[in-house]
Amino acid sequence: MTTIRRFCCDDLLRFAPVNLDHLTETFNMSFYMTYLARWPDYFHVAEAPGDRIMGYIMGKVEGQGESWHGHVTAVTVAPAYRRQKLAKKLMNLLEDISDKIDKAYFVDLFVRASNAPAIKMYEKLGYVVYRRVLRYYSGEEDGLDMRKALSRDVEKKSIIPLKRPITPDELEYD
Amino acid sequence: MASKFGLSGGIPDRRIRPIWDAVDSRQFKNALKLSNALLSKYRNSPYALALKALILERMGKNEEALSVCLNAKEILCSNDSNVLIDDLTLSTIQIVFQRLDHLDKASSCYEHACTKFPNSLELMMGLFGCYVREYSFVKQQQIAIKMYKTAGEERFLLWAVCSIQLQVCCGNGERKLLQLAEGLLKKHIASHGLHEPEALSVYIALLEQQCKYADALEILSGKLGSLMTIEVDKLRLQGRLLAKAGDYAAAADVFQKVLELCPDDWKCFLQYLGCLLEDDSVFTKETDPIHTQKGIESKNLPISEELFDSRISNAVKFVHKLMMEATNNSERGPYLALLEIERQNLLFGKGDADKLAEDLIQYFVRFGHLACFTSDVEIFLQVLDKDNKSGLMKKLVKESEASIGLPTKALGQSINLFKVQNLIGDMFALPVDELEDVAVRMTEMFCKNLPLSKELDAQESMYGEELLSMACSVLVQLFWRTRDFGYLLESIMILEFGLTIQRYVWQYKILLVHLYSYWNSLPLAYERYKSLDVKNILLETESHHILPQMLGSPLWADSSNLLSEYLKFMDDHLREHADLTFLTYRHKNYSKVIEFVQFKDKLQRSSQYLMAKIESSILQLKQNSDNIDEEEGILESVKRGTYLTELLNESKSLNFNEQLKLRPWWTPTSDKNYLLGPYEGASCCPTENLHDQIKQTHADVLKTIEKRSLLPRMIDLSIHSASASVKENIETNGSLVDPKLSLELKILLERYAKILEFPFQDAVELVLGASRGQKAFEAPNLVIIDLMNFAVFLNAWNLNCHEITIPNEDNSDSHSSTWNIVNTLLRKYVIDTIKSAGPIVSSPGSDLPFLVQLITEPLSWHTLIIQSCVRSLFPSGKKKKKGTSVEQLNSQLSNEIQNSIQSLCETIELVTKWLKAQLQKPDNEKFEMIFSSIQRNDKGNGSGKAYEILDSSVSSMKDAEVGDRILQALHSWHPADVVRKIVAGQGSLLSEFLKICELKIKSLQVLRHQW
Repeated sequence: MTTIRRFCCDDLLRFAPVNLDHLTETFNMSFYMTYLARWPDYFHVAEAPGDRIMGYIMGKVEGQGESWHGHVTAVTVAPAYRRQKLAKKLMNLLEDISDKIDKAYFVDLFVRASNAPAIKMYEKLGYVVYRRVLRYYSGEEDGLDMRKALSRDVEKKSIIPLKRPITPDELEYD
Repeated sequence: MASKFGLSGGIPDRRIRPIWDAVDSRQFKNALKLSNALLSKYRNSPYALALKALILERMGKNEEALSVCLNAKEILCSNDSNVLIDDLTLSTIQIVFQRLDHLDKASSCYEHACTKFPNSLELMMGLFGCYVREYSFVKQQQIAIKMYKTAGEERFLLWAVCSIQLQVCCGNGERKLLQLAEGLLKKHIASHGLHEPEALSVYIALLEQQCKYADALEILSGKLGSLMTIEVDKLRLQGRLLAKAGDYAAAADVFQKVLELCPDDWKCFLQYLGCLLEDDSVFTKETDPIHTQKGIESKNLPISEELFDSRISNAVKFVHKLMMEATNNSERGPYLALLEIERQNLLFGKGDADKLAEDLIQYFVRFGHLACFTSDVEIFLQVLDKDNKSGLMKKLVKESEASIGLPTKALGQSINLFKVQNLIGDMFALPVDELEDVAVRMTEMFCKNLPLSKELDAQESMYGEELLSMACSVLVQLFWRTRDFGYLLESIMILEFGLTIQRYVWQYKILLVHLYSYWNSLPLAYERYKSLDVKNILLETESHHILPQMLGSPLWADSSNLLSEYLKFMDDHLREHADLTFLTYRHKNYSKVIEFVQFKDKLQRSSQYLMAKIESSILQLKQNSDNIDEEEGILESVKRGTYLTELLNESKSLNFNEQLKLRPWWTPTSDKNYLLGPYEGASCCPTENLHDQIKQTHADVLKTIEKRSLLPRMIDLSIHSASASVKENIETNGSLVDPKLSLELKILLERYAKILEFPFQDAVELVLGASRGQKAFEAPNLVIIDLMNFAVFLNAWNLNCHEITIPNEDNSDSHSSTWNIVNTLLRKYVIDTIKSAGPIVSSPGSDLPFLVQLITEPLSWHTLIIQSCVRSLFPSGKKKKKGTSVEQLNSQLSNEIQNSIQSLCETIELVTKWLKAQLQKPDNEKFEMIFSSIQRNDKGNGSGKAYEILDSSVSSMKDAEVGDRILQALHSWHPADVVRKIVAGQGSLLSEFLKICELKIKSLQVLRHQW
């Protein structure tokens, strides 16, 4: 039983049970608030009965020309609500907004190369590894740039994997 | 006015770039050098000056930065036509003034520029930004209207509309202003239409705020409605407006449509049902954040019984239809909906509890393995009576025994059975042996099911993880009931065991923070807290797990770090918050504007924030109380204590942002710990009293904040009073204390007594009586500290006004003094505490924090008063020759000061002696004392059984069963290390306290030698 709605500032005061999880980063305030101020349609929260926060997704839309795309910055689900396909629901919502409202070509995300369970989940949702970003995470661990083409990219050009890995300074966006 | 190509603020770019490069790479010294060189050529350039000010501010030279920036402002605002005014210069000046908390000065620069170039949109936007930062909603509105008139753009009109809404929602603006905003929008729409979805949201919200629901609905269904591209969002809004307009039937139809699109949307289902039953409570925003689930309030609905029946039956039909159409088996929505319908039946007085129980069992069969099962059904259990609940429990157990499924599912069900049992309050009613059995079964279940987690990644949650937290809660309850601290150790052991296997489980860590705090091993609690990585906004919601204990402890350095990290986060964020609000305007996300401003308000009014500011000053005063000169410096920095009382006066209503839900049952709020009191029988169920407890705490916090905010000022006035009283004695034209200050101290004493709920005279009598041993303060420790503080400042005040005289017991002419009262009371409480204290290792929840507070607060303030007297006697800090001031000093006062020094030394020595005795006991002895409590040696009942399970599991586990990773973790499990760490933690806490005491004795001895 899930209500998905736009994330609002007050949720920052209630998301501790999700964010205390060590895999969920608690960013600084300006990070969250910039996302809320600029891309409120890309920041959603899922609530269970009793207004308990189950998880949330934050993202943005950026790029130019055929690189115009949705980006998943963070998606997280509290342990008590895992294994219920909630992440899928949240991802689909962001893909839908990127596709239908912002008419983006694809959605992308970064994941730690060692995070096998997450990579498996994204693959199930239709994402492919587009390229490897060397030492993306704090200069230590490689990141995988995964992508899923949207309806506007009819020929699925955006997800043809790059042959060579890139370094973080070659990334087009932060 | 615009910058020319290749120029920055009228200066060639090539001269500016190196300065910015140096700033960006944090080479401020170099930047300053370059900036000075630039200024030698462009002496009167406001931009060059602003740059220098910016560098100085980054270097922390705030005063210098302010003066340079003011210089820039002065030149900029002069009417010299040679001075270049451009946005770059203005924005640089603005940044510096903002960082120096002089927002008004930045605004006035932009105001001047806007007068000079009245049609510049760029400058007007800059000025609008300044007003956003100042939260000047009226000025925002005025400049936005001006921009709208100049450029005719929709966005500026919306800026104005939002500014009007802010005046009404967050300022003192009257509601009729909304009409003005509506008029402005209407006029614009008539001529230009609307183009942004967010503009439409604002328009609708404006109408909704004025209860013009029909108008809003008309707009939504008209041409403008097409701006809303997400269909369900539009339907949700439509449904809400219809319901608010009282057209429940139409609203229910709309919500039905939403549910057909999103069958799992719980809130929408509640709204749908609310509309069917014509119950508008689901649309009013919950104002009580503590208790969002009002599960058992029966309702008086405005509809007849027949209507109720037919509507409920419609709802049931609809939910069944949803179930039939469901494509996703994991959707709990429709099944929970049936439970909600049955709950409504019961609340309406027509329900059948058996039917609800039956539905709950069905829900259990389908979803009983999910970790969220219990929280899903919590609200439905609340409407069942005790018998129904226990009947249900039995049936659930039966159901679970009969079900055959995957082992992970079976485990999930078993966990939920425990959770339901806990939720319905059964655990607190169980006899001790059964409760023990529950803890053992939980631990056993965890160990048995470890093989299920064999394939999991090291970072994933384990199956059955919750069992250990639950077993811990049960064991703590056993400790509360039996006082056998073996249970307490066991509860710690199983959590530490869990962390050995999976080191990231935050639930275990939070429990350990509270258990270690309780067991006087605060340094260990702090370690565990740090491993939670509480940062950024979590500092506001989660600091309560550790901050209060730390503030009352001798761990001053760590406490100071905690406070400054938290305050820095809040200060920094509040400073930049308005910039982020401005971002919402610039990105046309108008619906976020009010939300952002209200959120800032929530943070600014945070009770914890105010408390931290006050405690941070008090902590500094405690840390420096052995040196009156240092203390004066600290008092100076808080405007001699008045800063804190001003803070208190400025704070209107307070907001409580702490997430208390994550606290363990035994300490639901930071000022309540059930373990400190006796077990009150089966009827007492702490979880059921949670709501009242939180309410009580919130009320108490207000009092505490007021009380604490008065301390620094009272300390300052007391120091002053003490010194004046000495001077009065030794100088012929002695400087009498300023009567105003004496009066102020009296007023503060009265106010302090009032917060303690005593009239001033009663508080005085209480203190006098207690010192004569007639009656001790029969009060909790915290109140004793407050009364002792009162006694200390009372003495200081009395030094000048001599209003309180106490006849000696022998009825002679001489009088005992208030000095004596304070000394006697301090000694009495120290002796009492030490006498009743057992060995720290085996006395969880001891009075150690009380003792620490007694020494570091009232006793320390008292030593300050003494230091003040002595400083006035010996201004150069050296002994005076005979025949000088000391001789002239009224011999009674001199004696009293000397006696006080002597008495305080002896009192602290009692503490140091006790501390040393504690510390001198060999660690092995302490270790044995604790560890033996869970080593059972076949003692039948009592603590140690759950621990035994862990012990035997570890030795019997094989690689093939649990996998290499878990097996390795099991091999690294050393229970003795846990006990050693507890002992070490206790030791370091005591040592810190000892250090403080020894320094105090030393400083008192220095005073004594001055005579």
